[in-house]
Amino acid sequence: MFNILPQKDSNTGCNCDGGCGSETSADELTEAEFLKSRRGFLEKATTFMLGTASLTLLPASLVLSKEAAGTAGKAATGAGAAAIEQTPLYGFMVDTERCIGAGKCLTACRAENDVPEGFARTWVERYIHLKDGTVQVDTVPETGYADAGLPILDPDTIERSYFVPKLCNQCVDAPCNQVCPTHASITSPEGIELIDPELCIGCSYCVQACPYGIRFINPKTNNADKCDWCYHRITKDEQPACVEACPTGARIFGRLDDPNSEISKRLRKLPTSVLKEHLGTHPKLYYLDLPQEVI
Amino acid sequence: MKFLLDTKHLWILLALLVLGGVAAWEARSWMVPDTYGDLMGRYGPYRAAALEQIAARPSVIIADSVCHECHQDVEEERTDSKHATVRCIHCHGLARKHVAQAQAAAKSPDATIAPAQEWDGDPLTKIDLYITQDRATCLVCHEENVGMPEWFQKINVEEHLDDQGAEEPDSKETCFECHGGHDTAP
Ligand code: HEC
Ligand code: HEC
Ligand code: HEC
Ligand code: HEC
Repeated sequence: MFNILPQKDSNTGCNCDGGCGSETSADELTEAEFLKSRRGFLEKATTFMLGTASLTLLPASLVLSKEAAGTAGKAATGAGAAAIEQTPLYGFMVDTERCIGAGKCLTACRAENDVPEGFARTWVERYIHLKDGTVQVDTVPETGYADAGLPILDPDTIERSYFVPKLCNQCVDAPCNQVCPTHASITSPEGIELIDPELCIGCSYCVQACPYGIRFINPKTNNADKCDWCYHRITKDEQPACVEACPTGARIFGRLDDPNSEISKRLRKLPTSVLKEHLGTHPKLYYLDLPQEVI
Repeated sequence: MKFLLDTKHLWILLALLVLGGVAAWEARSWMVPDTYGDLMGRYGPYRAAALEQIAARPSVIIADSVCHECHQDVEEERTDSKHATVRCIHCHGLARKHVAQAQAAAKSPDATIAPAQEWDGDPLTKIDLYITQDRATCLVCHEENVGMPEWFQKINVEEHLDDQGAEEPDSKETCFECHGGHDTAP
């Protein structure tokens, strides 16, 4: 489905050819007669091509959400970017090696988004692989482990252990969006999955459809609720609350369509993985150093 | 051909259908927001106004760069330390009120800045400004635990205080015998 768009984008390549056409109209007046006729032809061709290009481009930018355009993120920085006012395409990266499990992101998210007790838009899982082959998984308490009163495991029985922060994957092919019966699940032009508070009827189809368990029904509003990468912050050029609150830089947020952003640079250089890749949801949340056991 | 004579019922049926249709149309236009359909997405029409509605929410968490505007000395103190990525809000609370008051005070000399309050609980849950030397603030991050990566400088409190020979290992403020709040290096 989203392969259609990159093709349309390459149409904007013609647009660039159109630009070459305008060059011919500049200072070739002294050229011979046959060249003039050629120029006339070129001008007409240019107008025609510009026209068709804008015709294909307009619906492409309006009808299909631009997130798809940016899945070919790097391509969008080329010809298409110059032709249309570019909407940013955002991506998220989690560096599992950096996470120390202090739980600051959880508290920050709750404060920022007014998430009711007992629910979470983001959480951090702790995987403990014991020497006897079993795996224990728990979630980091919000105040950190320091006074959570959890039983301390004997370090000698542990093979390895690590933290994995989880949040919305902002899938390009989001299953949660597809099942919404009232079109309350919107994909913003920036590629963020949002919930329209006025159209949502709280039927919780999307809660079941999300393979990552991100969505929940908020008891305060009786609407579906989910992590939206702090849409109200990123549209003001701020970082999401959890990124702002991370003391070790385990969470990295930035523009995928900007080749110089931290996240693009890392994506180019380092091998990353996504969660449940086999489901074909194409998440925009990338993990660095993700142990293969994590689901 | 006899059944065609009795067309009255058909007319009633038709009238009912039309009435029902009008009622349904009315109900629909009453229930569906006006702005519905402004945005065509991949799976159909959406309400573009919802995007603005969601984006209009005010932010709560304050970035360090805001604090740095007025507290350059603290910024300088911390930029080269290992605590450069530890945010002001982790130890001072969300401080939204403080920023508002300080910005007002910068404009008019009458406005006052409330002093920092005593600490109770997790700084990130409070919107006021806090200063604390309670060791709990430090230990949320530094107390050794299963799952922490190798590179992180974690400590076992009792062992650490013992090794370093703290004078009052039972006091809440014990960390500040040797470490500073901003320049944490011992
Ligand atoms: C690791 C915890 C921690 C962090 C992070 C932190 N502070 Fe502090 N801050 C303290 C403590 C503790 C004090 C109390 C004075 C002391 O013991 O040094 C303090 C005191 C202050 C004071 C009072 C003046 C003074 O020096 O006594 C200011 C102003 C201040 N901090 C600003 C900031 C700003 C701005 C930031 C972010 C750039 C920040 N602090 C980050 C712990 C911290
Ligand atoms: C608009 C300027 C401004 C901004 C922004 C600002 N402050 Fe302050 N702050 C001040 C001033 C002025 C004082 C001194 C108040 C006084 O001494 O009465 C102060 C004092 C403090 C103190 C010491 C309070 C006390 O009672 O000793 C702390 C701690 C502090 N600020 C932390 C922060 C943090 C954390 C932030 C960012 C969230 C921040 N400030 C942002 C202007 C600012
Ligand atoms: C939000 C989490 C957090 C809090 C709260 C915190 N720290 Fe840290 N601390 C860190 C991180 C992250 C590092 C960097 C570790 C590294 O790079 O190896 C660090 C490093 C340190 C170091 C090593 C510095 C050096 O130069 O070797 C000391 C000492 C330290 N912290 C003391 C404290 C004290 C004392 C407090 C309480 C006032 C405190 N920390 C609060 C996260 C935190
Ligand atoms: C008596 C002085 C003293 C006290 C009290 C003290 N420390 Fe330290 N701390 C030190 C010294 C000295 C070092 C450097 C040790 C080294 O490099 O091996 C250190 C190192 C650290 C480190 C870095 C550890 C590492 O692996 O490099 C952290 C984190 C730390 N302290 C946190 C704390 C906290 C939190 C407290 C309060 C519970 C505290 N300290 C109380 C003296 C002290």
